[in-house]
Amino acid sequence: MSDAAEAPNAREDRTARWGMVIDLNRCVGCQTCTIACKHANDLPPEVQWRRVLDIEQGEFPDVERLFLVVGCQHCAEPPCVPVCPTGATRQRADGLVTMDYDLCIGCGYCAVACPYQARTIVHDEKWYFGEATVQERQVCHDERLGVANKCTFCIDRVDGALADGLSPGVDPAATPACAASCITQAIQFGDFNDPASHVSGMVAAGETFQMHQELGTDPQIKYLIEAPATPGREGEASDADDERLGDPANALVGKRQTFWDLRAAMNFILGGFGSGLAVMAYLLSLLQPAAWPGHVLVPVYIVAGGAMAIGLFFVFLEIGRKLRSLLVLRRPQSSWMTRETYAVAVFYLALAVDIIRPSENLHAVIALAALIFLYCQARILHAGRCIPAWRVAAMPRMLIETGLYEGLGLLYVVAASIPEITIGPLGAMLGVLLAGGNAWQWWRYRKGAKAAGIPPLARAELRRITPWLHAIGHALPALLYGAALTVPGEPATVLVAAGIATLAGGALWKYTVIVPASYQQGFALPRLPRRGSGDRAAPARYGMS
Amino acid sequence: MAARDSKQVPIFCYQCVGGPDLMKVEVEDGVAIRIESNYGISEEHPGGGRVCVRAYGLIQKTYSPHRVQQPMKRTNPKKGRAHDPGFTPITWDEALDIVAGKMTEMQKKGLRDESGAPRLAVTTGGGGTPVQYGGTFPAFMAAWGPIDQGFGAGQGVKCYHSEHLYGELWHRAFVVSPDTPYCNYVINCGNNSDSSGGVAGIWRQADARVRGMKRVQVEPHLSITGAMSAEWIPIKPKTDAAFLYALVNHILFGHDWREVCDKPFLENDTNSPYLVGPNGYFLREAESGKPLIWDLDAECAKPFDAEIGHPAMEGSFTCAGIEQGADGETFRHDGAEAEPAFQKLLDHMRDFTPEWAEGECDVPAERIRQVAEEYLAHACVGETIEIEGRTLPLRPVAVMLGKGVNNGWGGYQTCWARTLLACLVGALEVPGGTLGTTIKLVRPAASRTGSVLPGPDGFMAYKFNETSKDGWQSTPDIRNAYKTLVPLVSDSPWSAALGPAHLPWLFQKTQPDNWVEQTKPDMWICYRSNPAISSWNAPEVAERIAEFPFTVAFAYTMDETNHMADILLPEATDLESLQLIRIGGTKFQENFWKHEGWAIRQPAVENAVDCMDLTDVSTELAKRVGILEDYNEAINRGAAGMKLRVENADYGLEVGVEHDREEIWDRVCLAASHDLSGGAEVRGLDWFKTTGYMLAEFPQLDWYLYPSLKDQGLRFELPYQERILRHGTELAHRLHEIGVNWWDKQLDEYEPLPGYERFPDIWINYAKEVGRDPDEFPLWALTTRSTQYSWGANVGIPVIKEVADNIAGHRGVIVNRKTARALGIEDGDPVVIESVSGVTKGYAVLREGIRPDTVVMVGQFDHWKTPVAKDFNLASLNSVTALSVSLTDGTGSSADIARVKLSKGEGKRQAVA
Repeated sequence: MSDAAEAPNAREDRTARWGMVIDLNRCVGCQTCTIACKHANDLPPEVQWRRVLDIEQGEFPDVERLFLVVGCQHCAEPPCVPVCPTGATRQRADGLVTMDYDLCIGCGYCAVACPYQARTIVHDEKWYFGEATVQERQVCHDERLGVANKCTFCIDRVDGALADGLSPGVDPAATPACAASCITQAIQFGDFNDPASHVSGMVAAGETFQMHQELGTDPQIKYLIEAPATPGREGEASDADDERLGDPANALVGKRQTFWDLRAAMNFILGGFGSGLAVMAYLLSLLQPAAWPGHVLVPVYIVAGGAMAIGLFFVFLEIGRKLRSLLVLRRPQSSWMTRETYAVAVFYLALAVDIIRPSENLHAVIALAALIFLYCQARILHAGRCIPAWRVAAMPRMLIETGLYEGLGLLYVVAASIPEITIGPLGAMLGVLLAGGNAWQWWRYRKGAKAAGIPPLARAELRRITPWLHAIGHALPALLYGAALTVPGEPATVLVAAGIATLAGGALWKYTVIVPASYQQGFALPRLPRRGSGDRAAPARYGMS
Repeated sequence: MAARDSKQVPIFCYQCVGGPDLMKVEVEDGVAIRIESNYGISEEHPGGGRVCVRAYGLIQKTYSPHRVQQPMKRTNPKKGRAHDPGFTPITWDEALDIVAGKMTEMQKKGLRDESGAPRLAVTTGGGGTPVQYGGTFPAFMAAWGPIDQGFGAGQGVKCYHSEHLYGELWHRAFVVSPDTPYCNYVINCGNNSDSSGGVAGIWRQADARVRGMKRVQVEPHLSITGAMSAEWIPIKPKTDAAFLYALVNHILFGHDWREVCDKPFLENDTNSPYLVGPNGYFLREAESGKPLIWDLDAECAKPFDAEIGHPAMEGSFTCAGIEQGADGETFRHDGAEAEPAFQKLLDHMRDFTPEWAEGECDVPAERIRQVAEEYLAHACVGETIEIEGRTLPLRPVAVMLGKGVNNGWGGYQTCWARTLLACLVGALEVPGGTLGTTIKLVRPAASRTGSVLPGPDGFMAYKFNETSKDGWQSTPDIRNAYKTLVPLVSDSPWSAALGPAHLPWLFQKTQPDNWVEQTKPDMWICYRSNPAISSWNAPEVAERIAEFPFTVAFAYTMDETNHMADILLPEATDLESLQLIRIGGTKFQENFWKHEGWAIRQPAVENAVDCMDLTDVSTELAKRVGILEDYNEAINRGAAGMKLRVENADYGLEVGVEHDREEIWDRVCLAASHDLSGGAEVRGLDWFKTTGYMLAEFPQLDWYLYPSLKDQGLRFELPYQERILRHGTELAHRLHEIGVNWWDKQLDEYEPLPGYERFPDIWINYAKEVGRDPDEFPLWALTTRSTQYSWGANVGIPVIKEVADNIAGHRGVIVNRKTARALGIEDGDPVVIESVSGVTKGYAVLREGIRPDTVVMVGQFDHWKTPVAKDFNLASLNSVTALSVSLTDGTGSSADIARVKLSKGEGKRQAVA
């Protein structure tokens, strides 16, 4: 069955496009939608599919306060869907972005890909009073544990509409609970593909904006900002300066994500080490066949595979539904995580055969698989669209370059215990070049961080490690590699030290970017109602004749 | 899986005065699992049939493991916060026997004690909402006899106290509201209607905003409502009277008032043209005693109800007449200089210029003028609208007041100025203007327009408490002495709770001079209220509660008040109990319906603990103390909300026998439906249980008082307050006759045209009264309403905490960012707030939407016993406000405000969630 055919509200003449209009002039932040959603969807403690933020902008006495309804935007171009490695998250023809809890493995990829902080993963049972009440037991959903959750636009109510002869957005029973329950009519639900629908009319008549339109997600929640008593206005630069966006108490500021922690970072660290090692070893063996007896590649590959395996094991520890982890193979057509898994499968398969029957071709296949693995990892992080520090354009290149650099470093460490390997001056030269290249990449990444939208709190984390990274991860290895070039032979101690410093540097920045600097995309108000005091107040008698 | 047994049970939510709102409980296999609005009433309910956030907490309320599981008895005779009460479980039989035994003892000793005060005291909170849950307990109280209902639970600062009293006097407005569907411009001094307006109010105001209504919010802290307003004016706390006086000044003197004001309204519908004699009383015709008006055409004074060509509004006129002063004193004049009340008003207001106000209230004079201009521009003086076939003035402007603004010192001034502003443009009780919603002090209780009855001097009747030598109640009949001290609070069933309800706590600690000995009640019953948290100076009230000899608490969970109780009676809560209540018409907050009727609350589920419905408790107690007949008779008379003997039908209970709750409420259902439908559709309990509610149409014309006044030729008793002056003068005589002079400052308030004083100084200088330096306490502390918690008694419900925390201030004290940083305080830092009366601790929430001289504590917290809430670590204004006579105004209220110092506390910074 195709995705399109799954949408029961697809009508003969046209397909619905369900969405919401949020009227910022109506919402009073009462939290009725939030709690009604929790009721309708049986949500456990601290999970809010529909949230309302309390926003304040300006400085006393020129201040404006407003309430911002947020949640899954059911984007027309949802970044969460292609990244999902299992197909648990999909998009129907009517625009609803759905979740199949039975397919989800709880990898959290969708959560770090969503720029609207719409997804949560609850790993363990949690009860409001510490122990379950009889009601909580009755409405608990074990199938949602360890998997990604998000707003469904109350899909069951919408789908039930046709069967019950009701109209979504009109009849409360067929309307998402947040919209139906709203005590100010701030949340309106309806069909954007129907020009006669209420929501289409609101969009046509008023002025709306879509959150983070620049990310190309085409969200299907549209914020209405202009009412007769409160004209709209542009956002002010001072509301988006570093001080305001660096204030954790500002509800617009994204919090640090918690879906991918040290365990995920370990995959990128060790995965880079291992895959880089395999690639660099093969490359050097190719360029210096005399110095590299073919058989020594196998133990190097084994080390590489070991590093990658440990990294993958860490990821395995992170996923919510471990027994279903093989479902990760279901989405090669879109998910870099699936592709990574295939690459690693090829790697280990080829390695296994190579161990038994070494061959040049297999050496090449393994190196190629490692390179693809490294590339997949680079793309995985880059597709984490929720995290500005990850989604920068240079991220894939940075990860590949550092992977190769770390691979070289690890090669020197490994080579110290495999006497048959002679890496030669080419390695040290590459080391100097890669140190320079990585330093340059980092410098560019930092320099462009603000322009790339990396928030101040994340930039502070990056700033914190920069001197150490440049010193230990770039300058020291460059010096040591350079020094090694100036002395005859291969000074093992110097090169091992260079390798270790390289690895330390790589681990440091990847950990920092993936964990402490992983502040989520916050919320932004490009246009907002004019009200409050001073310059933000509505002009006298606006809208009055 | 077996199919589950599922049903939807219609009930109501009346956790706050914004209700009732109707909802359905989804029950599956006998367990309440979800709440949803009862969308079936969407068309008729002015809030689209929705319930608000608090209703959704009721599931957890029902199944909380912290509920008191069965009746309990105290074993530790020592009471107080530090003493473990040692509650031990008992059966309902035992519990009721103990309570009834104590009651029987009281009956034997006499229902009043040696001081004349009732031996039984009952406190309920929630602005009357407990009655919507109390089943037939009011019938028990009626059958019992004298009960002291004057121990406050926070009213006086937590309600719209001055508005309740003056509002009801002037325009039957116990609560005031704009006529939001028509209003175009609202000056909102601190009123937080987008939080407190109930679903109906919030819904209507959202519509009005989108329609184009402009609201100017005047308040020290940018509240929820301020957020939703087109403009915010951060006024200095407690100076709203200056702001409003300056608006009046600009209207009267910034223009030719005859051009911009509604002159016909002032002339014909207010006391503006009444002549005032040299002693400040109306100059009256000697023979009839009727106030005189100078007729410019006839050039003579005529009684107010005579045919008058053009009434004089300005000038001074020499004429004969009498003034009726205090205590029957009559001043006879053969040729006195008399001035119309409006001339008095002009003279009174002349100096309150915007420039003067700027110095008082910190609002630029130009801005005050601008607001006054906008108000005039939007008032549409001269325009009309047709409502249900009747042509009425359309005046789409209103002025609203918040609690801290209209309570305590300055409350008279703000309430008067606000109502005067409406009068100046004819916007009182007309479409679009300033309206009342409900009545609690005048009668008949069920009809606001029906309470428009002729009184003296062409005004509506209003029953002041007697201040004459013969009529004055020199020995208070309850401990807060509302009839003795506050003539304006009248004497309805609500008056006791609206008296100076903090005085009993205060007098219990310190006996006032020349006053009847303040006794403690033999038995105090506390229902759906937690005065040990919700009162001003709550810690001190907790100490007084601990002194009570015998306390019975209807108890949901343990809390700070029932910690001092002797008996805990777990009552059936919202989803477990049965009651029919009146809905619709016009009610508290913005409940303006075009329907009226009845709605049911019924057991959606079996009792989750060994609790009892209040109706059954009441019946059992009535039986055990031997007042069953009186109790049943009280129900028959209407103590359960509807009299059972209606026209052409008698649904009355047989009085001699006990009836279970189903039987009682079945009768109420029959009588109520009979009454509503004129006998055409008589429905019993089973019908209501299925359908949830029954409605009939209610005329929109009844939203407005103006037609009723016009029909009877009555005027609004504004701007001149002759009755206030007379009662105040008499009250001063009475109190001084018995040697009471501790109420003298309050007596100064009885002015016919309220004067201005620097109200903030009263609170600033309070420090001196207790021997402290005012400079020690440089900041104002205020509170603001929590939409999620207020009234709901829901601090023990974790899901409410979860969602409330999304709104700023629910995790700590709101402090201006610059002020905080100057004190070395960052967001989330622990802070200590100290006043002369107490200390409270919390965490700093740094915001810009607050004056630098002000801190705000949301809601009421500082719990130390209530499960869940005791772990919140939230500061509470109630822990630092003072209970004091000097902070009490003439109506018996104070304001929720304190002078404090703020400092960084010890401990770790609270992480931002």
